[in-house]
Amino acid sequence: MNHALDTRHAALLLAPLTLLMLLFFLMPALSIVWTSVHGGQLDLAAYRELLTSALFRRVLATTFEISIEATALTLVIGYAIAMHLARLTPSARAVMMIFVMLPFWTSILVKSFAFTIVLGDAGLVNRAISWLFGTETPIPMLFNRVGVVLGMLNFLLPFMVLPVLGNLLAQDRTLQRAAETMGAGPVRIFLRITLPLSLPGVLSGVLMCLSLSVGSYITPALLGGRTDMMMANLVDFYTRQTLDWPAASAIAMVLLLITALIVVLLTRVRGGNVEVL
Amino acid sequence: MPMIEIDKLTKRYGEFVALAEFSLEVGKGEFVSLLGPSGSGKTTLLNLIAGMTRPSSGRIVIDGVDVTDLPASKRDLGMVFQNYALMPHMTVFENIAFPLRVRRVPNAEIKRRVGEVLDLIRMPHVAERRPRELSGGQQQRISLARCIVYRPSLILMDEPLGALDKKLREEMQIEISRLHRESGITMLYVTHDQEEALTMSDRIVLMREGRCAQVGTADELYFNPVSPYVADFIGHSNQLTCTILREEGGNVVVGLAGGDRRAVPRPAFPVPVGGKAILLVRPESASLAARADDHHSLRGTLEASLVVGSNIKHVVRLDSGETFLVQELNHRLRARPAIGSAVWVGWSAEASQLLSAS
Ligand SMILES: Nc1ncnc2c1ncn2[C@@H]1O[C@H](COP(=O)(O)OP(=O)(O)OP(=O)(O)O)[C@@H](O)[C@H]1O
Ligand SMILES: [Mg+2]
Repeated sequence: MNHALDTRHAALLLAPLTLLMLLFFLMPALSIVWTSVHGGQLDLAAYRELLTSALFRRVLATTFEISIEATALTLVIGYAIAMHLARLTPSARAVMMIFVMLPFWTSILVKSFAFTIVLGDAGLVNRAISWLFGTETPIPMLFNRVGVVLGMLNFLLPFMVLPVLGNLLAQDRTLQRAAETMGAGPVRIFLRITLPLSLPGVLSGVLMCLSLSVGSYITPALLGGRTDMMMANLVDFYTRQTLDWPAASAIAMVLLLITALIVVLLTRVRGGNVEVL
Repeated sequence: MPMIEIDKLTKRYGEFVALAEFSLEVGKGEFVSLLGPSGSGKTTLLNLIAGMTRPSSGRIVIDGVDVTDLPASKRDLGMVFQNYALMPHMTVFENIAFPLRVRRVPNAEIKRRVGEVLDLIRMPHVAERRPRELSGGQQQRISLARCIVYRPSLILMDEPLGALDKKLREEMQIEISRLHRESGITMLYVTHDQEEALTMSDRIVLMREGRCAQVGTADELYFNPVSPYVADFIGHSNQLTCTILREEGGNVVVGLAGGDRRAVPRPAFPVPVGGKAILLVRPESASLAARADDHHSLRGTLEASLVVGSNIKHVVRLDSGETFLVQELNHRLRARPAIGSAVWVGWSAEASQLLSAS
């Protein structure tokens, strides 16, 4: 193998993408950094203001809250789905995977509007509940935290199911059979064998979901209430309502940093550098 | 009371019958091997006993308890797998302690008992290691220890040495035999290595296409095979087609393809005159001569003589076209017939056996 030639080949093949990223990601990102320090003045006032802004701190807290709530819910439901899928025959699994992937292929805007129909006061869920239990007052599920978390759950599920399922399928079944002959019941087998062995998959799913939900914009905007504002919505607020572009840019930078941190963690998990067992 | 009673056990996969009306009894403390070619149903039988799969029909009784409908976790037996099946995320100690924790044994006793079995398998220093830090042979020893530690009344092993090289396999055979002797635990052992089965077992179950071809000690299978299949599977054999000519005292006289006549002890099955049968002669019961005499009356051509240390194997093409193997002790001074020359083979009547042709 000619190593130098390989490297040159790789460079050639990666060039278009690199160019694209430079033009449409790095340049705008740099211009945001530029704006956040008030252009050539290298003024950190925008960042200083953020630290003292009660609004920013509240939105930061809300962002983490919603992200963690949504990720936790996705983990529980996604794990159950993955376990079910792992037990199916390959052909049945292929069919079921389509349903898992469906939200993945649908525009988030379309999904969010669909949720307003499903979760509204006269929506499917509320009508089913009032029909089942004969209750009159609808349960508020739209324009509040419930709506946001459910919307995000729907969006995040494939990102949790795929890594966990991949891990479960790769697990050696004889381990469970061995445990069974040793007298272990299903709960113990799950807690002592299946679950610990699946931790790398879980961790990578969790980090993926966190990094995706931290930057949510449409879901909180369309399904959340006024108190469910997240970082991206705050950026929007500063750019369009108060026209305070340095503040908006500074928030964007903080958001970018948080996401980058999570992604770095994720690549370390994927690379197997993290000893989770 | 026997340790295992298997009664007309059948397992079907759709149309395919993996195990057909299989019956077997295994005594307490016995070491029984399941031997047979690939696909003969050995693993199927073991999985049925362990409770990994449900039988289509039939009954399994272990230690007097009908376990046919009991889940695997309630059968209280041990299983050793070919790929060891140690938990990669647990230390050796935790692996061996696992079945004890399941049984809610107090911590102090767990510590003591794990220490004991680690001594028993002569690996007292590996308790804190992970399985992947051990060699294949060591891992299999740990997996044996994990079985023995909770003292099941029965241990099932599915080709436990299949992944090891020959030398290690022989060491482990001795090790397993020793553990069997010292623990007194009944063991059911799957292998398709006949030498392994012959050296380790009290009894051998030879399987064929989901059925039992023969059950018996190594000697019984070797010296009294019930069918050409068994004779062929265990050791080497010469099987000559013959016709029953007459009975003569305790013997039957049969005619071979070349017209040669031979006396053979009367078998247990009926031998109608004029019927066909198979004459079985083990290579080491036969001898070779360069000239015909009373004893050596079957003519052929010497095709090859292979010296294997203390033994010499002659391959003879009989005039009837059948191949005949003769194994003799190798003497320094013995004159050997030249390859390609005419030779005569013979054997004493008592050393031969008649098998049913069907
Ligand atoms: N789940 C299954 N579905 C269909 N057929 C099966 C299944 N499990 C086993 N069989 C068939 O049953 C037969 C017996 O299989 P088994 O695994 O018991 O053989 P074995 O004697 O253990 O062979 P080996 O020495 O190769 O391990 C085989 O022909 C196999 O194809
Ligand atoms: Mg098998």
